[in-house]
Amino acid sequence: MNRRTFLKDAVLGSAALGAGSRLFGAFPASGQTAEPDLAVVQGESPAAITKAAIEALGGMGKFVGRGSVVLIKPNIGWDRTPEMAACTNPDIVKALVELSFEAGAKKVTVMDNTTNQAQRCYVRSGIQAAAKAAGADVPFINPRRIKKMAVGGAWLKDWDIIQDFVECDTLINVPIAKHHSLCRVTLGMKNWLGAIGDPRNQLHQKIDEASVDLAAFFKPKLVFLDAYRILTRNGPQGGRPSDTKLLKTVACGRDAAAVEAFGATLFDINPPELPLLKLALERKLGRIDLEKMNIAKRTV
Amino acid sequence: MPKERSKKHRRLQLLRIAVQAFFLGLFFYLLFGTHFTGEDYIGPVEAFFHFSPLLAAATMLAARTMIVFFGLAAVTVVVTLFLGRVVCGWVCPLGTIHQFFSWAFKKSKFLRPKKPAMGGLWIKYAILAFVLVAALFSLNVAGYFDPISFLTRVSATSLVPAASHGLQGVVGLVYAVKLEGLGDTLAQSAETLTLNSTFVQGFAIGLIFLVFLLLNKWRERFWCRTICPLGAMLGFFGRLNLFKLKIDEGKCTKCNLCAIHCPTQASPFPNDQWKSSECIYCETCAAICPTKAITFPVRFKHEKAPAVDFTRRRVMASSLLALFSVPFFRISKAGKRASEKLLRPPGSLPEPEFLRRCVKCGECMKACPTNGLQPVLAEAGPEGLWTPTLVPKIGYCEFYCSLCTQVCPTGAIKELTVPEKTTVKIGTAWINKNRCIPYFLGRPCIVCEEHCPVSPKAIKFTEVETVRPDGTIAVEKAPVIDVELCIGCGICENKCPVMDQPAIYVTSVGEDRSKENQLLLQIGE
Repeated sequence: MNRRTFLKDAVLGSAALGAGSRLFGAFPASGQTAEPDLAVVQGESPAAITKAAIEALGGMGKFVGRGSVVLIKPNIGWDRTPEMAACTNPDIVKALVELSFEAGAKKVTVMDNTTNQAQRCYVRSGIQAAAKAAGADVPFINPRRIKKMAVGGAWLKDWDIIQDFVECDTLINVPIAKHHSLCRVTLGMKNWLGAIGDPRNQLHQKIDEASVDLAAFFKPKLVFLDAYRILTRNGPQGGRPSDTKLLKTVACGRDAAAVEAFGATLFDINPPELPLLKLALERKLGRIDLEKMNIAKRTV
Repeated sequence: MPKERSKKHRRLQLLRIAVQAFFLGLFFYLLFGTHFTGEDYIGPVEAFFHFSPLLAAATMLAARTMIVFFGLAAVTVVVTLFLGRVVCGWVCPLGTIHQFFSWAFKKSKFLRPKKPAMGGLWIKYAILAFVLVAALFSLNVAGYFDPISFLTRVSATSLVPAASHGLQGVVGLVYAVKLEGLGDTLAQSAETLTLNSTFVQGFAIGLIFLVFLLLNKWRERFWCRTICPLGAMLGFFGRLNLFKLKIDEGKCTKCNLCAIHCPTQASPFPNDQWKSSECIYCETCAAICPTKAITFPVRFKHEKAPAVDFTRRRVMASSLLALFSVPFFRISKAGKRASEKLLRPPGSLPEPEFLRRCVKCGECMKACPTNGLQPVLAEAGPEGLWTPTLVPKIGYCEFYCSLCTQVCPTGAIKELTVPEKTTVKIGTAWINKNRCIPYFLGRPCIVCEEHCPVSPKAIKFTEVETVRPDGTIAVEKAPVIDVELCIGCGICENKCPVMDQPAIYVTSVGEDRSKENQLLLQIGE
């Protein structure tokens, strides 16, 4: 980003923020009061809405300490280009890397345990190039850094965990909202299957329990849902642009369950209907009562 | 007579070693470059093959067609016509490897090769005759003997995998001594290079290579002087070349050093016994001569018939052997009905044409991003030994990848663009309901459906009722295959959580390339 585009973004962004707070007048303007439970931002530019959403939560400084090590976990699972909406939007990942560095991160790593060949997924999702451009490390999964750990879940007691995801100060989960024929939708919690070792496919026998147990284990500081372009059928990898829907939205917050609940509504699912969210509620992973939450909504 | 070795020929010898190192390096540079590098399309990594007149002749004969890129083989022929077998001595990467080991064995006390013996040189001409006559009857066995094909196959299925496992060991050691940073770097570069490390027949193919390496202990450059049909072919073309060995009788002390050290038994001494068809212009004799007696001046004079005892009788015998061998290669069931396990790479020609072209080089196996392409043992009959097949349990066909079609040096796998490739059906998936988790155990799974790359998916699901062992009835989503949408990529089989014998598996029926191996009637469509 050069100075001109930065200034432009800044001017447009602040104008939009002003407009946004007028539109959603019910909520107090950010920065002066308590942090909202969720930030939901809509807009044309994935990068701009990402930055506005983090700003609405009070800035990246709330999640990333000075000199800290940040690990960003997007979904890079599939050998698909961004218009297929199978992997997280690369511009969103890039913006989060930039924000992390601006907040003083010492090191930012972006990685995922892919399903298709790792190189293909990293390259064709656009995430490798985008994250590297912003200064992040984008390594492939190193089999030597996978160790069996106590997950301590209600169902999943222990499993092979990729150490990079536990050896960091700030873990940020950046899923993309997608259709999934077994779970109906795949959002943030199932994204953790990309942070563990094989035979992870066997977890499908109790996929919701596994996802919730892993979400409780990893405890990300921030969950950032990419719903810029969502996958509405043929999930979780799609294959045609017509399988996707452009929503130009992102949602984020500390509460994994709340972000998940908001994501469900994008697919016209009432959150309590999702078995996964019922489990999340039982295990006290967060709230799913969206109507009672303090949601900072913006349009950029 | 002052005893002094020729500085000029010593320099030529050093130049030759440098050129050999360059081409060996180039060969492995291209080989290690044969993988997904971030681009959909890969450069001419298979270039070495197209310079082999043996592969060109045998493949075009067997396939009964002109193949444009084999025009490059003419370069080799022209060079050989004028300069003799310099390609063997200066360029061929397999020759370089054999020369290196010959040299190393010679230097070591225990493995010193015996003095050169006469005889045996004719064997490679017999192999050449066999290969060409077999090709005339559409049997392509050139790839088993062609040095480029041989070395590529050995490298792809044996050396590279062994190197990969070795590297893993090194990485483990590096981590063990707490050099985490170096370990991470090594592990990352291994991942980036896609060093396929699993090959069903890698051990056997490596063993064959080892045998030929060890034979250098018995005779220097054993492969080149005895086996290599490409060398024999170039020997024919090179007989009338410009540079002829000349021994200055006035200087020669008849020490026989040149003949002892000639790596290909071209017998530089005595002069009239020199066989230009065997000489690879390695400059060893001229450089080693203690009195500078050996030179290679330009001479147009026709030399006598080559002294290799490849008589007319042996030509006939070898050709007849080929003639009578061909039918034996056809006895197997391979030609009768398609093998269910033979999943040819996407773009493969129909089986008979495929076999006529495939030179079993393993380029496709090196390029395959998932390690799924494997050398066949018996599924394709005797003439299909080491041809490629997809083994989904090891690796599946990556949906947006067409690398194998791009690197095939003979067009046995037709070059496809990525969009073309995504439509090619190489087989069909089947479900073994007796092993499938929802069908048999009444538990959720649907991993196959999740991974199916086509859109709309070729794996749908239906709800099935399963009686569990305790008598309760479970209702679960179970996979159903739409055979018209399935392309046979095998990712379902690869990712199936039933590890030992996947509950979903791909067989070749329905493959686009075959008229007979079909399932659905396409009448009037």
